[in-house]
Amino acid sequence: MDRLYQILQNRIEGAVATPDEFHPALMTNFGNLFQWAPRFVVSPASARDVTATVAFAREHNLTVSTRGAAHSQSRIAISDGGILLSMSSMSRILATDRSGQPGPTVDVEAGVIWRDLLRHLAPEGLAPPVLTNNLSVTVGGTLAIAGIGVASFKYGTQGDNVRELDVVTGTGEMVTCGRKKNVDLFWGSLAGLGQAGIITRARLDLRPTKPMTRTYYLLYHDLAPFLEDAKLAMVGGRFDHIESWASPCPQGLKPVGGRRQPFARWFFPVHLTVEFDPAHPPDDAKLLRGLSPTERLYTDDVPTLEFFERMTPVFDLWKRGGTWGHVHAWIESVLPWERAADIIESVLPDLPPSILVGGHVLLWPAQGRASQSRFFMRPPGENLLGFGVLPAIPPRYWEQARPMLENLGRLTELMGGKRYLSGYIDWTEERWREHFGEQWEPFCALKRTYDPDSILNPGFVPFPAKGASRKPKARAAGAPAAD
Amino acid sequence: MALEFGTPEWARALAGAINASSEYRNAGAKWGVGFNGNILFAFDAGGPLDRSLYLLVRLEGGRSAGAEFVPGPSHPDAGFTLRAPFPLWREILTGKTLAATAILTGKMRVEGNTIALLKHAGAHRSLIHSVSSLDTRFPGD
Repeated sequence: MDRLYQILQNRIEGAVATPDEFHPALMTNFGNLFQWAPRFVVSPASARDVTATVAFAREHNLTVSTRGAAHSQSRIAISDGGILLSMSSMSRILATDRSGQPGPTVDVEAGVIWRDLLRHLAPEGLAPPVLTNNLSVTVGGTLAIAGIGVASFKYGTQGDNVRELDVVTGTGEMVTCGRKKNVDLFWGSLAGLGQAGIITRARLDLRPTKPMTRTYYLLYHDLAPFLEDAKLAMVGGRFDHIESWASPCPQGLKPVGGRRQPFARWFFPVHLTVEFDPAHPPDDAKLLRGLSPTERLYTDDVPTLEFFERMTPVFDLWKRGGTWGHVHAWIESVLPWERAADIIESVLPDLPPSILVGGHVLLWPAQGRASQSRFFMRPPGENLLGFGVLPAIPPRYWEQARPMLENLGRLTELMGGKRYLSGYIDWTEERWREHFGEQWEPFCALKRTYDPDSILNPGFVPFPAKGASRKPKARAAGAPAAD
Repeated sequence: MALEFGTPEWARALAGAINASSEYRNAGAKWGVGFNGNILFAFDAGGPLDRSLYLLVRLEGGRSAGAEFVPGPSHPDAGFTLRAPFPLWREILTGKTLAATAILTGKMRVEGNTIALLKHAGAHRSLIHSVSSLDTRFPGD
C-alpha cells in the first residue's frame, strides 16, 4: 500500500483510489493518444476536499490534475504520477435563482453534466444560453476550455455566460471570483485550462426557452454560397441555433502521393433552428428570406429539450459502431472568415472520408464580438468560421494519419486560425506563444500568481521555467512556426 | 535505367513524368492558372551534394511546359522557390518527410506567396510524387 494513501484518505471525506483500484480508463482520455498513470485518484465530496487535496499535494510535492468527463484529447485530464481529481463526484445542482439580475442563474458544482442540468431546468423553461454538442461533459470541464456550441454565434462561449466561480488555486486557497471580484482569476479560470485554479462551483446565466423548435435542413452544393448564407443567417438574430457541416459523398479511390485513397465530393448541409411557442409558429418564408440553398430538404419540429439532445443518438451510434474507443485527434480551429474558403478548399479534396466513420467535419459560423473571453483565442474580425475535422482513427492507422492531421493544424494556424484546445494539441512553447499572442504573458503571469509551484494540470502547457527570459523569440512576419 | 540527377536528361524526363501523371493533371488543374506557377527547386549543397543545384519546372493547369536546371538561385521566370538542403530533399523524395510538413515547420523555405502555395497542397504533393517516381541516381547513391 502506498505510504501516503491513508494520510490522504484521512484528510478528505471523498474516496481515494490507488492504481490497483481505479479503472484503467482513468489513465487516458477521449483522445486515446496519451496514457499516464496517476498515483492517486481522488473523488472529492466537496470543495473542502479539493482544498485539502491541493494542500496535501503541496506538502508532499505532488501535482494535481483535474478530470471531468475527460472529453479532451491531449495531455489534460490525466496525471503522470500525481493526484487525479475526478470531479464527476461533485455533481450537485445547488440552487436556481429566477429573480437574479440581469437574468436567472443556477449554481452548480463543477462535476455536473450539462445534460443533467438541462433536464433539471427544462420543467422551468430555462436553459444555459450555450450548450456543447456533446452534453455528457461536465460544467467545470467545458468552462476550463471555453465551451462552444450551435448558439455561440449569438452568446459566445459557455464561459461568457458565467456570473461567478469558486476556484481553488494552486496555493490551496478557495477564492470566489466574478466579473467585478477577483476579475483576473475569474477570466483566467474560464478557458484557462485549469492552470490557475480548479473550478469547484459555477453560477451560470440562464435564459428562458420556448417549448418547441423548428429546424430548416438546407443543403448547399458549394462552399461559396454556403458561406454567403451562413453570414446572412447570423445577422439580426432571426435564428437561435446554426449548425453546419462539410459532408462527404465518396467517389472512389484516387492517387494521393502515389497511393490510392478514398476521396469525396463534399456538400454543405446547414441546419437553422428557431425556438417557438406552438401558439405562434414561425413564419418560414420570412425566416428564410434571402437565403439561396441548393435544396431545402426538410423541416423538423421537435420539443426544445429534444433539440438540445439531438446529438445523443448520433454519439450512441458511434459507440455501438465501436469507433468511440478509436483515436480521436480532433483538429478544431476558429478561422478568419476571409481565409476560411481557402483553407477548407485546400483540406477537403484530400481528406479521406473513411477517417470520418464515427466522426464528422463541422463548420460553425460565429461572430467575434459575441465573446469577451480573454483566453479563448480567436482571430480578429467580425465574422469567424469554426472548422473542425473530427476523425475517429483505428489505433493501428494513427501513425499513418498523424502527419496529415498535424499539417492540418499547422496550416490553419499559419493562415491565421486559432485552435480550440480540447482537441489534439502537442505543441512546443513557441507554438503556445503563437497561439496566445499578446495574451501569452498575461497567461504566464496568472500561472505565476495563482500556481507559483506549477502543481496544477502539468504536462499540457510548457510554461517557461522560473527565471527564464519572458521575451518572445523574434520571428519573421508570415514565417511558419518552428516545431 | 536510372538517370543521373542534375542532368538535362533527368529534367526532361521529369517534365514527361509530370505530363504522364493523371494525379498531377487533376490535383494541379488550378495551379498556375491566373498566376505564375513556375517553381524553382533549390537543392542547397549538403550531404553528398557538393554544389547547389537549381531546377526550374514550368507548370500551368495540371501540365508542365518543361523543366531545366538553371545556373543561379533565382530565375526571372520563377513564381515560387522551394529551398532546402539536399539531405532534406532526399527525405522528402523518399517519402520519409512530407513536403507540406517541411514547409509548415519552416524547414523548407518558400519564396513567393506561401498562402497560395498552401492552398494548392494537393498539387505539390503530386508534383513531388512525380519527382520521386523517376528512376534516379542521386549523389551518394
